[in-house]
Amino acid sequence: MKNLLALLFIIALAALLLYVAANMPPMGDPDNPTATHVIPRYLEGAEKETHTENVITGIILNYRGYDTMGEVTVIFSALAAVLAVLGRERRGRIHAYVDRSTVPSSVIVRTMVRFLVPLIVLFSVYTILHGEISPGGGFQGGAIIGGSMIVFTTIFGLYESSRRIPQKVRFPLEGSAVVTFFLVGVLGMVGGGNFLTYAWPRVAAGLQPALVTWLTVLVEIGIGLGGAMVLTSILFCMIREEEEIAVVA
Amino acid sequence: MGAYRHFPILMITVPLVCAVLLPFLGYLRERWVPRAALVPLSVSTLLGLLLVGKIPAQGYLSYHLGGWEPPFGIEIRVDYIGLFLLLVVCGISLLAMVFSPRYIGKEVSGGRLTAYYVLFLLMSGAMLGFVATGDVFNLFVFMEILALTSYALVAITGNRNAVRAAFKYLLMGAPSSIMVLLAIGLLYSATGSLNMADLSARIAESGYTEVLVVSFILFVIGFGVKAALFPLHMWLPDAHSIAPSPISAMLSGLLVEVSAFALLRLTFSVFTAGNDAIIGGTSEAVSVFAAAAVLYGGIMAIMQKDLKVMIAYSTISHIGYIFLGITSFTKEGLAGAMYHMLDHGLAKACLFLCAGCIIYVKGYRRIEDLKGAWRQMPWTCFAFSVAAISVIGIPPTAGFISKFYLIYGNFTAERWPYALVLLVGAILAAVYCLRVIYYMFFQPDKRGAWEEGGGDAPASMLAPVCLLAAGTLFFGVFSGLIIDSLLKAAAFLL
Repeated sequence: MKNLLALLFIIALAALLLYVAANMPPMGDPDNPTATHVIPRYLEGAEKETHTENVITGIILNYRGYDTMGEVTVIFSALAAVLAVLGRERRGRIHAYVDRSTVPSSVIVRTMVRFLVPLIVLFSVYTILHGEISPGGGFQGGAIIGGSMIVFTTIFGLYESSRRIPQKVRFPLEGSAVVTFFLVGVLGMVGGGNFLTYAWPRVAAGLQPALVTWLTVLVEIGIGLGGAMVLTSILFCMIREEEEIAVVA
Repeated sequence: MGAYRHFPILMITVPLVCAVLLPFLGYLRERWVPRAALVPLSVSTLLGLLLVGKIPAQGYLSYHLGGWEPPFGIEIRVDYIGLFLLLVVCGISLLAMVFSPRYIGKEVSGGRLTAYYVLFLLMSGAMLGFVATGDVFNLFVFMEILALTSYALVAITGNRNAVRAAFKYLLMGAPSSIMVLLAIGLLYSATGSLNMADLSARIAESGYTEVLVVSFILFVIGFGVKAALFPLHMWLPDAHSIAPSPISAMLSGLLVEVSAFALLRLTFSVFTAGNDAIIGGTSEAVSVFAAAAVLYGGIMAIMQKDLKVMIAYSTISHIGYIFLGITSFTKEGLAGAMYHMLDHGLAKACLFLCAGCIIYVKGYRRIEDLKGAWRQMPWTCFAFSVAAISVIGIPPTAGFISKFYLIYGNFTAERWPYALVLLVGAILAAVYCLRVIYYMFFQPDKRGAWEEGGGDAPASMLAPVCLLAAGTLFFGVFSGLIIDSLLKAAAFLL
C-alpha cells in the first residue's frame, strides 16, 4: 500500500515535470525572459561595475554577494552539523587508527601521491587567486584542496594527513569565509555604502577599481581557505567515525 | 534615511557571524558559551525593537545589498508583517536560549555543548534572514541553513531515537528543498528575475502560465513539507518530540511558522492574490488539506500518551489554522493567520518548554505521570495552563483573538465548511489540552510521585516559561496594539 502510494506520487510528479518541460521557454532562444531581463546588464556591466574580468565572479561575489555569504554559511553549518552529530576527532586517539585506516599500497602509488599533492595544492592556490580573472575562485580552489586531502588520506591514513593539516590550523580557519564576508560587508557600511558595497563612496573614484579588485580577491581567499578547512574537517570527522566503528567491531 | 536602514541586515548577520566566532570562546572558556550566545540574539532583538514605529502599516523598508538596485542585486524588504514576524522570531529565540543552559547541560554531553549554541545561533540568524529577504533565491539559501541546522539540532543528543528522527526529517526535508529550488528555477525561466517585487510585475505579463502554475505547486509542496502541512507532516511528531525541549520550542514555535510565512509571502507578494489562473486551483487544494490537518492533528493529539508527541500533533493542527487563514484571501483571515503565528509561537514554545521543565525535574514524558503535578511544580503547571488555554482559544488569551479573526475571515469569504472545521478544531484542542490541565490540578497523585516543596524547575528555566505565558495573556488583552495595523497591512497585500 505504502509502496503503491509512493509509486503514484512519483508518477504524478514525473508527469508534472514532463508537462512543464514541454511548456518551458525554448532552450537557447535569445528572446527568452532569462536572456533579456537582468543578464544583459551583468554581461555588459560586470567588468565596468565590479572590476572583475570574470563575469561569474562579478555576479556571485558582488551583484549577488549576499547569496554567496549565505552559501558559505551553509557550508559552515554543514560542518557544525557534522561535528554536533559525530564529534571532532581527538588528538590522543588518532594514534589508534594508524594502521587500520590504510590499505597497504605500493611504492609507486605512495611516491606519486607524495609528488602530486603539493602540485594539486599549488594549482588550487592559483585557482583561488585567479578566480577574479579566469574560471575558478574560492569555492573551486577550496574543493580542490579538499580533494587533495581525500587522495592523501586514502593512501597515507588519517594519522599522517591530520599531521599535515592539524586541528590547530584548521580550527581557526574554518569560519574564515563567513568572517571575511562579514568584515567586507561592514567595511562597506563604514565606507558610506550599504552592507557588502565594495566600491566605498567615501573613497576617491580613482581608487575604487583597485579597492574593489582587492576586496574581491580577499573574499576569494577567505572562501578558499574556509572551504578547504571545512571540507578537510568533515572528511577527518567521517573517517574517524568509520574507524571507531571498525575498532568496536 | 537614518542609520536604521542598516538594522535589518545587522539583525541577520550578527547572529550568523557570532555563531562562527563562538567556537573560539568554546575553546578558551566553555563555561561562558551559553551566556555569550545570548549577546547576539539580544542585539538582534534590540535592533528589531528600535525599528518599531519606523515602518508604516502599508509601507516597507527596502535595503539594497552591495548598493545594487533590485532586479540586479539582492533586496532585503521589511514590511509591517515582516517586522512583526522578525520580532516574534527574536523574542522566542531569545527566551529559548535563556532556557537552554540548564536543560542542555543535562542532555548534551560536553564537547557538543558549543556545537549546540553555534547551531542555535545559525538557526536564529537564518530565520531572520528568511523572513526579511525580498529575493526568492536568497529565501532558498536561508532555508538551507535552517534545514541543515534543524536536522543537526534534532539529533544533537546523539541517542539512537534522536538520530533516527533526524534522519527521517532529513529524508523528507532534502527532497522538499530540491522542489523549492526547482520551483525557483522554473520561476526564473519564465520571468528572468529573482526579486519578489519585480517578479510580481513580470508574472502578470509572462506568457508561460503553465510553467508558473507548476512552479507554484512545487513551492507549495516544498514549503508544505517544511511547514508540516498535512499530508506532508510525517516527520514532525518524531522530530519535534524527540528533539531537546528548547529545540522543540524553536521548531514548533518558529520554524513551521516561518515556512508558512514564506508561502504567504510567495502567494501574496509574488504570485499575487487575484491571479486565479495560477494559484486558484492549488490554493483550493491547500484549503482542503489544511482543513484535514486541523481535524487529523486534533484527533491524533487526543490519542497520544506522550506529552511532547501530543503537543507536536497539536502543531500539525494549528498549521492547518494558519493555512486556512491564508487561503481565505480576506484581510481578516490573513491578519488572523499572522496573529496566529505570534500566539501559536508563544503558546507552543511555552508548552514545549514546560514539558522540558517536567523532563528536567522528574524525567516524566507520559501524560498519565502528570497527575497532581501542580503540588511540586506550581509555576510550570500554571504557565502550561495559560499556554494551553491560548492553544484552545479561550479569552483573554491571544489564541482567542487569532482564532476569532481566522473564523471571521472564513465567514466573510463564505467558506462555511472551513469556518466550521476551525470551530471543531478548537473543540478538539479543548479536549486534549483540558485533559492535561485536569491531570495536573485535579487528579490525585496516587503514586506519590510529586512531593510538595520538592522544588520547581530552576529560575533560569521558569523565567522564559512564565514570560511566554504572560506574553499570550498580554497579546490577548492588548491585541488592539497590533491587530489593527495587521489588518491594514493585510489589506495592502490583497
